[in-house]
Amino acid sequence: MDKKRSNASEIWKRLRKNKMAMAGLAILLVLVFVAIFADVLADYDTKVIAQDLSKRLKGPSAENWLGTDEYGRDILARIIHGTRVSLIVGLVSVGISLLIGGVLGAVAGYYGGKVDNIIMRCMDVLLAIPSILMAITIVAAFGSSLVYVMLAIGVSGVPSYARIVRAAVLSVKDQEFVEASKSIGANTATIIFLEIIPNCMAPIIVQATLGVASAILSTSALSFIGLGVQPPDPEWGAILAGGRNYMRDAIHLTLFPGLAIIITILSLNLLGDGLRDALDPRLKQ
Amino acid sequence: MSVKITNLNVQYNTGDEVVKAVNGINLSIEKGKTLGLVGETGAGKTTTALSILRLIPNPPGKIISGSIELEGKNIFDYSESDMEKIRGDQVSMIFQDPMTSLNPVMTVGDQIAEVIAIHQNLKKTNALERAKEMLEMVGISGERACEYPHQFSGGMKQRVVIAMALACNPKLLIADEPTTALDVTIQAQVLNLMQTLKEKYNTSMLMITHDLGIVAEVCDEVSIMYAGKIVEHGNLVDIFDNTSHPYTKGLFASLPNINKRSEPLQPIPGLMPDPANLPSGCSFHPRCKYAKDICKTKVPVITQISDTHNVSCLAYEKETIDEFGGIN
Amino acid sequence: MHRYILKRLLMLIPVIIGVSFLVFFIMALSPGNPARTILGESAPIEAVEALEEELGLNDPIIQRYANYMLDLVQGDMGESYKSGRPVFGEVMSRFPATMQLAAGGMIFAIMLSIPIGIISATKQYSVLDGASMIFALLGVAIPNFWLGLMLIIVFSLNLGWLPSGGMGGWQNFILPVITLGTGCMANITRTTRSSMLEVIRQDYIRTAKAKGVKQKIVIGKHALNNALIPVVTVIGLQFGALLGGAVLTETVFSWPGVGSFLINSIKAKDTPAVMGCVIIFSICFSIVNLLVDILYAYIDPRIKSQYS
Repeated sequence: MDKKRSNASEIWKRLRKNKMAMAGLAILLVLVFVAIFADVLADYDTKVIAQDLSKRLKGPSAENWLGTDEYGRDILARIIHGTRVSLIVGLVSVGISLLIGGVLGAVAGYYGGKVDNIIMRCMDVLLAIPSILMAITIVAAFGSSLVYVMLAIGVSGVPSYARIVRAAVLSVKDQEFVEASKSIGANTATIIFLEIIPNCMAPIIVQATLGVASAILSTSALSFIGLGVQPPDPEWGAILAGGRNYMRDAIHLTLFPGLAIIITILSLNLLGDGLRDALDPRLKQ
Repeated sequence: MSVKITNLNVQYNTGDEVVKAVNGINLSIEKGKTLGLVGETGAGKTTTALSILRLIPNPPGKIISGSIELEGKNIFDYSESDMEKIRGDQVSMIFQDPMTSLNPVMTVGDQIAEVIAIHQNLKKTNALERAKEMLEMVGISGERACEYPHQFSGGMKQRVVIAMALACNPKLLIADEPTTALDVTIQAQVLNLMQTLKEKYNTSMLMITHDLGIVAEVCDEVSIMYAGKIVEHGNLVDIFDNTSHPYTKGLFASLPNINKRSEPLQPIPGLMPDPANLPSGCSFHPRCKYAKDICKTKVPVITQISDTHNVSCLAYEKETIDEFGGIN
Repeated sequence: MHRYILKRLLMLIPVIIGVSFLVFFIMALSPGNPARTILGESAPIEAVEALEEELGLNDPIIQRYANYMLDLVQGDMGESYKSGRPVFGEVMSRFPATMQLAAGGMIFAIMLSIPIGIISATKQYSVLDGASMIFALLGVAIPNFWLGLMLIIVFSLNLGWLPSGGMGGWQNFILPVITLGTGCMANITRTTRSSMLEVIRQDYIRTAKAKGVKQKIVIGKHALNNALIPVVTVIGLQFGALLGGAVLTETVFSWPGVGSFLINSIKAKDTPAVMGCVIIFSICFSIVNLLVDILYAYIDPRIKSQYS
């Protein structure tokens, strides 16, 4: 987008000045760590899945820091493994959106004319369906497995990436370095992927960061209404939904998974906002 | 209206640095006269102008010290609501860029009528009638009052801004580079218009410009501003014929002369200093071709050359004049 | 202006066709057999085949879609597998409840967010600005179903001030409206603030001040009218999120609207009902966006003159 491309170290320098963004990044790194070492922190078979009815619905204690659920499973262990599910779903579904949306947007922007028109009208149709409804429709049709959840959320995010990439391609397409590649005989795909895409990374990175947040939110929403991750697999929205029936006596079942969602979304949003300011300093006064 | 600015200091504090925009300037304008304030971009001219209306954006801007007297009364003693009564009524301002100084979502008629309605206690319909008259006066058909700014050309927009500024017959008109954004042919029209209206209402005027041609045409006196200070002040004859300060000389030397086209232009070397990091001593010394060592350390004071002419340069000060041989 | 509105209305038609096609297509690809679903697992194979024929399930998909669309134009969305009643009637009977909730959420969001955004921008970096920004960040991050549950725990179960679900008096509205509107409010607050910050630095605001316009009017009239342009866009986009959120909010508060009907239909594999809900929600969202575009033209004369 920008004529003078800021290099990575400069962006990092600006990002480091932003305390909120750094806080977001720090929290995110902790979450990634938790997700990677989930098995070390809490064994899946014995702690996350195995039921122990003698310990059901216990409040927070030294043994179970965040209490237990209706089957006597440790909430903390389930939240820890839920982190893994949420981050994977977030990343994969954004990856899907980005891949499909990016290609469609790049093609639309690069070729223009009729191709552009058809692709973008299709995107308008997709945009007319509120994204969570789109996801619900797909999951309702194909069934509630993690793969379909990711696909559903991924597809519903396609139009926003298509728009961003298209706008970015349009803005760089006629610049000299693209003309130069054309003149030395590079083929179209090479030009799109090697020249144009790297030059429109800034808005994509920002959108992807915020996109992971909204994908995680959508996943937990789907699980909450019973369409996402199925029990006994741990997912924050699903844990929360399970706790609904025990709200009066065991608030920790709904409280803690919700806090996990909020902290994750907050950290991603803070980082995303920070990245936007760092990548495009003109936007900040 | 008479204006007297004494020792005005304005700074902008951006958090990282302190920008010293205006550094102890003195100005005065007599009733019905026009003072030209000349200098490069970033010299502090607009800040000075905004100070007279007390419109320095705060934060980051702050008036550190000094006084501005309108008809002998210091405006820093006024309350904000007193200032609101003065702005647009007794003192009004024409801004530099007509493209951005009109509200894009209000009709031009409403924008002119607003200032009339505020200060003359008129009903909206009557104010709108007056607004149409004002438009006619600046040469725009009154019927266009119901149009929006984007429907006008740049020159027309500036006429609208002028109509707005003159709607309440101000006693002081501040014109901040009113013609910079306009085509040359339109420039002349706008200047003529301002001159005529000014003479009609006997308005005092502060004309901010970097164009010495405009100064020669409309001003009675001139102050040359550099890095937030007035470096030379005098009437037209003083400035144009007895140019004294090296910076003023530089300004004239960088003007093309139609009669001596073979002579190369002599631009002033270097750039305006960063107002957050002003040079020591005389701010102009790094660019001054007469600069001596003393200029790096000693800050010049105002030296009176004649009753009407003063300059702020060590080469004219009694104690240091010997250091400079032959600048005069 | 009329031509513009007409043009935008016409542009709705391909979008509605596209949306219905997409939803129809996804549903048609779904692996289950609707005839089997209706008749149950124990029904004889002959009965299932007969019903398949009757429902036209053996026709090519394009033909089935054409039939569906022909019926749709006449307000016929087929019969619900579950209740056997027309889907259109089923959805429409629940539509007012959802609209009341959505309108309530939107009004709640707008009434609070715009003033907060304005004050925040005019007092940038003040304590109030900081508080409202933290609030806005949290508002975007809190899942509305969780917020709903927490509100129920505090205000219904513990304090007993407000009912925890169902429709009835005005008390029933309070918690669902807050639940649904908070995310929206956070988004609109952020947009209002940043848009106001951008606008109050513009030259025309200085011009207004130089005219002697009072500070309140400078902000409330000159700045706000300009700052509203992006805010209106966000309000339109947020309406989509609001409809999606309504599905969850209705589930949490057992609100008898289209959203809870949709969830129940999904659980019952009631394909015509699911399609009906999604298509009606999407048409609704498109119409709101159309209204926003028209409103846009009224706020911004530059857009208006482009189309007059």
